[in-house]
Amino acid sequence: MEGARSIRLKRNTFVLFVTLFVLAVFAWAGWANYEYRKQAAEKMLAAAGHTELIASGSSDDGPPSPLVGKPAPEFALQDLSGKKVSLSSYKGKALLINFWATWCGPCKLETPWIVQLRDQYASQGFEVLGIDSEGDDLPDSDKPGLAKQKAAVAEFVQQEHMPYPVLLGGDGLAQPYGGLEAMPTSFYVDRNGTVVAAQMGISSKDDMEAKIRKIIGAGK
Amino acid sequence: MRTHLAIPAVTLLCSALLCFGAHGQSFPTQAPNQSNGKLEAVLYLYPEQVTLTAGKTSPVALHFRIAPGFHINSHTPKEEFLIPTVFSIPADAGVKLEDATYPPGADFVLPADPDTKLSVYTGEFAIQAKLVAQPGDHLVNAKLRYQACDKTACMPPKTITVPIDIVGK
Repeated sequence: MEGARSIRLKRNTFVLFVTLFVLAVFAWAGWANYEYRKQAAEKMLAAAGHTELIASGSSDDGPPSPLVGKPAPEFALQDLSGKKVSLSSYKGKALLINFWATWCGPCKLETPWIVQLRDQYASQGFEVLGIDSEGDDLPDSDKPGLAKQKAAVAEFVQQEHMPYPVLLGGDGLAQPYGGLEAMPTSFYVDRNGTVVAAQMGISSKDDMEAKIRKIIGAGK
Repeated sequence: MRTHLAIPAVTLLCSALLCFGAHGQSFPTQAPNQSNGKLEAVLYLYPEQVTLTAGKTSPVALHFRIAPGFHINSHTPKEEFLIPTVFSIPADAGVKLEDATYPPGADFVLPADPDTKLSVYTGEFAIQAKLVAQPGDHLVNAKLRYQACDKTACMPPKTITVPIDIVGK
């Protein structure tokens, strides 16, 4: 009787230890899996962020544009009144082509600088073309969405007292103008129609003025 | 009597399997926010799967991470023209979003405009969602709409898919 109880006790103890061991293995496996996946996610994110930082830090003007030194790609877009405006109609002018969007804080910040610089240098053959690029991918069938967007652009133009032509549909120029992945993006075009400088992101009024002086003087 | 300890042992083993298996909330091993080699500013972290009591409002914290160097507008940006961060669930998902509580935005100042404070999210943030699930297993493609910028430029507004396997029991 005593022997049978002893054997049962030993068996129970053995089962208990085996159970605890298996539980410990599961706990360890779960923790290791969690850590592995967490580290994998962090590594992936860090790698992606690193790529972007390199691109942004390559120059004060943002990523170098392949358009610099080449003719500005031709376009014809409608302005807010529906009138078609083409790049070719500005032949002989020094031109700042400024892509912007209504949701873009830096664009709102640099617009007063552009307005002032345009007024300052207009008499020397300088003009600005503002091109709205909302990047919302609204289909042509979304009439209410497009109308709302146009109204937002008109409101922005009114608020900022933009005296230069503002054109709609800049998203369609993304491919010829190197992607237009971020706003604002500006191209400085000399009187011969050649892109002299490009700027992705806001810089400073002084920097913009220096570039404008460059295109005014270039090609004379 | 032989099963005296074997039954609780099997129960514990099953619990362990459930704990680290079907009900685990783990980090994604793929990059759902990275497409065509382009960086997406916001990455959905977790949970990948949640089990909720069917028909009952249940809180679920949804965790996201913003890529280093970027910020996104908070749910309540200070300027009307800025696009807020908004979480949503499609109507036919089998899961209803009753409410969403967003974290407060942190003040952020652009170097070119030190006088203007923006309300933004950076780093990691969590949205506290209140969900009501119908009975069953629902692979929900929730959405997060945001608009990201770095210190000098802004990317177009974006809507990313937030995939969550929601089980209503």
